Amino acid sequence: MQKSKTRQNLLRFVLALIVVGMFTFPTYWMVTMAFKPKAEWSSAAGVIYWVPKNPTLDNFDTVLTEYKGQFFRANQSSALPSIRSSIIVSIGGTLFALIIGTLAAYGLSRFTTDTGDLPWYVAIGRLALLVAVLLPFMVLWARLGIISHWYGIATFTLLGIVADQVIGRLLARYYKGPAGSLAFSILQLRMFPPMAILIPIMIMWSTFKLIDTWYGLVIVYGVVTFPFVVWLMKSFFDDVPRELDEAAIVDGSSNWGAFFKVVLPLVKCGLASTALFVFILNWSDFLVALLLTNRYWPTIPVFLNTLVSSEIGAQHGPKAALGLLAVIPPVVFGLLIQRYLVRGLTFGAIKK
Amino acid sequence: MASIRLEKLRKEFGSVVAVDSLSLEIPDGEFAALLGPSGCGKTTTMNMIAGLETPTAGAIYFDGKPINATPPGKRGVGFVFQNYAIFTHMTVRENIGFGLKIAGHARDEIGREVNEVAKLLQLTPMLDMNAGRLSINDMQKVALGRSMITKPAIFLLDEPFSNLDAAFREYMRGELKRIQRRLKQTMVYVTHDQVEAMSMADKIAVMYCGELYQFGSPDEIYNWPVNQFVARFIGSPNMNFINCAYQVQDGRPMLVQKAGGARTPVDDKRRRLLDGAASAGQLILGIRPEHVTLAAERRADSLWEGTVYAIEPLGPKKVVHLKVGDDLIQVIGPAAYRPRIGARQYIGLDLARTHVFDGKSRAVIR
Repeated sequence: MQKSKTRQNLLRFVLALIVVGMFTFPTYWMVTMAFKPKAEWSSAAGVIYWVPKNPTLDNFDTVLTEYKGQFFRANQSSALPSIRSSIIVSIGGTLFALIIGTLAAYGLSRFTTDTGDLPWYVAIGRLALLVAVLLPFMVLWARLGIISHWYGIATFTLLGIVADQVIGRLLARYYKGPAGSLAFSILQLRMFPPMAILIPIMIMWSTFKLIDTWYGLVIVYGVVTFPFVVWLMKSFFDDVPRELDEAAIVDGSSNWGAFFKVVLPLVKCGLASTALFVFILNWSDFLVALLLTNRYWPTIPVFLNTLVSSEIGAQHGPKAALGLLAVIPPVVFGLLIQRYLVRGLTFGAIKK
Repeated sequence: MASIRLEKLRKEFGSVVAVDSLSLEIPDGEFAALLGPSGCGKTTTMNMIAGLETPTAGAIYFDGKPINATPPGKRGVGFVFQNYAIFTHMTVRENIGFGLKIAGHARDEIGREVNEVAKLLQLTPMLDMNAGRLSINDMQKVALGRSMITKPAIFLLDEPFSNLDAAFREYMRGELKRIQRRLKQTMVYVTHDQVEAMSMADKIAVMYCGELYQFGSPDEIYNWPVNQFVARFIGSPNMNFINCAYQVQDGRPMLVQKAGGARTPVDDKRRRLLDGAASAGQLILGIRPEHVTLAAERRADSLWEGTVYAIEPLGPKKVVHLKVGDDLIQVIGPAAYRPRIGARQYIGLDLARTHVFDGKSRAVIR
């Protein structure tokens, strides 16, 4: 009995070790690789170096400096602009999504009876109807030749919003429930594969001259993560009793006062974890930045991609060095808000 | 200081009518209780007075001035919620001073007022504690203090003590009455507990399903209920109800019990009301347990007979359940009274305190 228990524990321990190893090994590999000289990170030597034998900062030097010499080097430009770009667009996009998303979530939580809970067939039906309704208009817009002009895009967007609401209201007649739900319209934004909406966005952005600008990226990041913020924050707001706002209002606060002085401080843990979540999403994005930037505002993931090409081969060492640098902001951010994070992620799990 | 007048107030939530044509006048400085079972619209009424809900129809006047369009913060009301609504991210001091801070008072003035309120509520030692760490009892005190500090002319309390433990609730009832006397505010107190309403209020409004059934002093409500619902809701143990028919036997008018045949004589005044009444065949006789007497032998005033069904000893008194015909009635007997279960008892009624209700409309016939 005792023996089998020990063996069971041992097995469990070994299993845990394997799982932990699987998750930490890539990080370990990246960290060590960043400090290896080229001879160690390239396959030229035909030997695998598990730990750097001659640790060096060469890789950091390579990615962070501009190369003006006459000899060939992996990257001609420095990664510093892309780090700056990543920081600006990630923080900008996060702030944008947090500000409008938190306000929207508060509105949905307090001023409507909209729960956004739809059965899947109503949800899919609504989406399918919307696409079906909009398709002929798209063809028409294309025929009229206005689809890639700002007025064409603006009218079509407006049409989409109106059609969505009309379909929702019509469905609500047959399905007795929140089929006209605004919260669901917001969630709908996340229902397409990103690639499907990115091409149209690219066309729109080039029409509006937003390609390769920081604000162009901020808008996309903000809009793409906005539904997450709304749905996460709504659940946090729902956990704050309405009586608290009402108490503040009776005591003389305005609605805004109740929001900023009473409700927002109470959900700060939730706000912090939402912020981190959204920041990581924006920070690690590759696809959006790849399509919407070219020269001035590529972000770190896009820059990393330039370190692999047929010309220069795969520059594993510099890539690892930049990867290591890219890990720092989310980790620092996470550590800074750690106190709130634990409470934020378990918020609502315990009823008072 | 302000009086409150509600005029044909109505509130609908979708297809549900929460409050229906409610008219009520609470004079300045009076302590009024809104009493009724849960879902009767009393909290909705309260929220409309505070301005947290907009009435579908009707008007609210404070001191004769219409207040419908005034936002809640400008109405000069204090509101204490059932679940305290304490701001847990603030200290007790910040909580109590919240209203004054919003109104933009000077810091030292706020400090002075907070100290005074804290002294009144015996919260002084806890002033700098985080409000989230207080006991439930103290939280409710803080909520009371936070509403009091702005010296509202009207004080609204929505079942403030229902989550407190029994002993502290009794204590707070006394405190609240003391505070109300001292500040001479108009208070509206929502409760489903008739004991609370009877013991504290100057006037009680009994509500049911969004309708106001009766509005009067505790004495009026207790002695002269307007219908069977009010009669049943007020008083513990409940009033006894016996289905009867009005008959004249041998020239003497009687109420005859349907499930047994116990007879109750009818006086001239009631006879005039019942002679030829459409509902004479379907009446309900009501008598409170405390207005019934028991005797082991037949006496001159014995009207009914019954057998002892169960006995609840409550210390100073006993509640005796009796079977009269097929009806069960409750009687309050003295503590020393110890009949056997199944023993025959002779029952006397205080006839002046009986009530007769229409069996269909349930309204009192008086």
